[in-house]
Amino acid sequence: MAVAAAHAGAILGDHDHIHPEPQGFIRKYVFSLDAKVIGVQYMVTAFLFFIIAGLLAEIVRTQLLSPNGGFVSNDTYNGVYSIHGSAMVWMVIIPMMTGGFGNFVMPLQIGARDVAFPWLNLISFWLFPVSALILFSSFFVGAPDAGWTEYPPISVQGPPGTSLWALAIFLIGISSTMTGLNFMVTIMKMRAPGMTFTRMPLFVWASLATALLNMVATAALSAATAALFIERTFDVPFFDPARGGSPLLWQHMFWFYSHPAVYIMILPAFGIVSEILPTFARKPIFGYKMIAFSSIAIALLGFMVWAHHMFTSGLAPWLQLPFMLLTMVIAVPTGIKIFSWLATLWGGKIEFTPAMLFSIGFLLVFTFGGLTGIFLSAVPTDLHEHGTYFVVGHIHYVLFGGSVFGLYAGLYYWWPKITGRLMNAKLGVWHFWTTFLSFNATFLPMHWLGLAGMPRRVAQYRPEFQLWNDVETIASYVLALSTLLFIYNAIESLLRGPKSPPNPWNARTLEWQISSPPPYYNFKTIPAVLKNPYDFGEPLPYIGLDRELDGQPPGNGHGEPAPAHA
Amino acid sequence: MAVSAINASHEAVRARYESVDSVYRETRDLRLLGFVLFLISDVVIFSAFIFAYLYLRNSVPNWPPINKDGVQLPRFDVAFAAINSCVLFGSGATMHYAMESWKKLNRSAFNLWMIATIFLGLCFLGGQAYEYHSVAVTWQGSTMGASFFTLTGLHGFHVFVGVIYLIVLFLQANRGVYTGSKYFGLTAGTLYWHFVDVIWVALFYLFYLM
Repeated sequence: MAVAAAHAGAILGDHDHIHPEPQGFIRKYVFSLDAKVIGVQYMVTAFLFFIIAGLLAEIVRTQLLSPNGGFVSNDTYNGVYSIHGSAMVWMVIIPMMTGGFGNFVMPLQIGARDVAFPWLNLISFWLFPVSALILFSSFFVGAPDAGWTEYPPISVQGPPGTSLWALAIFLIGISSTMTGLNFMVTIMKMRAPGMTFTRMPLFVWASLATALLNMVATAALSAATAALFIERTFDVPFFDPARGGSPLLWQHMFWFYSHPAVYIMILPAFGIVSEILPTFARKPIFGYKMIAFSSIAIALLGFMVWAHHMFTSGLAPWLQLPFMLLTMVIAVPTGIKIFSWLATLWGGKIEFTPAMLFSIGFLLVFTFGGLTGIFLSAVPTDLHEHGTYFVVGHIHYVLFGGSVFGLYAGLYYWWPKITGRLMNAKLGVWHFWTTFLSFNATFLPMHWLGLAGMPRRVAQYRPEFQLWNDVETIASYVLALSTLLFIYNAIESLLRGPKSPPNPWNARTLEWQISSPPPYYNFKTIPAVLKNPYDFGEPLPYIGLDRELDGQPPGNGHGEPAPAHA
Repeated sequence: MAVSAINASHEAVRARYESVDSVYRETRDLRLLGFVLFLISDVVIFSAFIFAYLYLRNSVPNWPPINKDGVQLPRFDVAFAAINSCVLFGSGATMHYAMESWKKLNRSAFNLWMIATIFLGLCFLGGQAYEYHSVAVTWQGSTMGASFFTLTGLHGFHVFVGVIYLIVLFLQANRGVYTGSKYFGLTAGTLYWHFVDVIWVALFYLFYLM
């Protein structure tokens, strides 16, 4: 079958971007070229690693139940938190955001049948589980023990697993670069007729900014991890100060990638929330262009602030001021987004679906995490907070409260489109509240523990910190259990969930105007686009979608009037 | 699977996609933008290692530094590298003429220029190998050697891949893969070869002249 499919592809020509639908299981679900299937592969794989990396976090929290530790050995503890951080950043959030939602949603939203280079997409995906396996297998040879940042000289002298870490991050970096390149070309060249840049959905804008970061910044990470690997394997001096190398060089090379990486992790969440808030407030998005352009501004500014991670590393004092000010400047485009979202909610007819709850929860906790970021960007306060649990609290507010809440919001929102089935909304609301409350109980006390002087990455701590550490640990167990609600809900929906109508939320972007799940070729006719999609209350701004649904009723199937096409 | 079954499924797949409307079958050149973006990300990788070189260079009082045994290292020999650079830049010129000949549909000139380019590329690699053999620094011995061998090695790897790519293009062109109007592979090969040249300009300045 695969042979026949490939043959037909050759006859259809190179330029149609429709590779015929493969028929065999392997070509259809394992080595698929279809961006939607690859997107789901990314989501499922990343969610699996989310569970593994989450269990590693529970080992960390269990160790910290007692000031004397003792649950695991100190060496194991170092490996566990290092792999927890590395896996959450590179194997969970980035693949889920760019690979998962980017692949599934973005081509549909721009009215394309696939991404620009399906084969490149396939290779990008398969590098991801391979690099994850290399990363996790480092436990068998001695896991890296210098945290997710792997600063030399510890990482140069570290256990053998550190080389595996460098290799894994190098490979996932290559995969990210290829995805970024692919998405750049897709968004620049393959939008439906009439979809100018200012008519693109905001998730597409976020994907464009993320693709730029993925392409440029991730290449620098590949260079850094390659240098570390070379130094460890061939004994070549880059970072070892004893031989003329510089540990600070690693910090520059690493953070030149890893600061933009936090925007790689958060910009798609901004895009997801920008889709969900207007849909469930039934209002046009406030400040469309401001939200769109601020994504690009964040991406560009993100390249100029990396050294704010290095205020205590011996950075030249004259460099500290510009990095501090530029970091604070990033709060401006971010603030523009926050206020635009609030203005979108203002006076809206808000529906509290699970997706909407997670989006509003995102707004609350991400703003809080952003504010503690301002504390950390200021050199005088950073000198006090650097290397304490304040930083741990901050990063979890922006990466869990920001990115993971955004991921949950996106999963609830696009679940009917991806699977063709609805989820249990009541269970989703329970999932939100248990997650939201236990999240805050887990990570909020870290701020005052940090201010009181508890250092991060320690296996034992002073006894006076025990009370809040125990609160955090117990809350983190609830947080882990709350994930089971989501998993149960997902499985239940797949097995017995009611069939989803094409557009259960009465949303206006293109992916909701075709059947759920979308057909292999996405659109029978590529539609023409007249406006941006957020004018709720007006007819849909698309021409040429009337053949898509094959007689299925459009709309949400509850007898509400469906939005008419222009 | 029987041939008839293959043909039947083939026809079914084909019928299905012919029913899909053809708006999408226009020739946008996605590949050119994709290739340029690939080169940009490659520039970033080189830039990161160049940054590392300059950073290490500026973190010691004197350059060339002393190596791990306390011996003062010499500067790199400009004369040989200059000749070798001329070989590489010459190959850029021959590649340019190869492409021009192709556009003028002059196949025999194209073949000659391509062979010249491939030959000069191989000469450059030979020169690199000779320089690696004769240079006074080692990869492991100092940060100077670490930067030099890593960067020129990365560049040499690009030249090596480029030579193989040019050979493949040469064979493809002679097997009729490209036509007078559809020759993206050749365009990409030319872009790549000039890119490798430009990177070498930077490396030559940074290691031999600066």
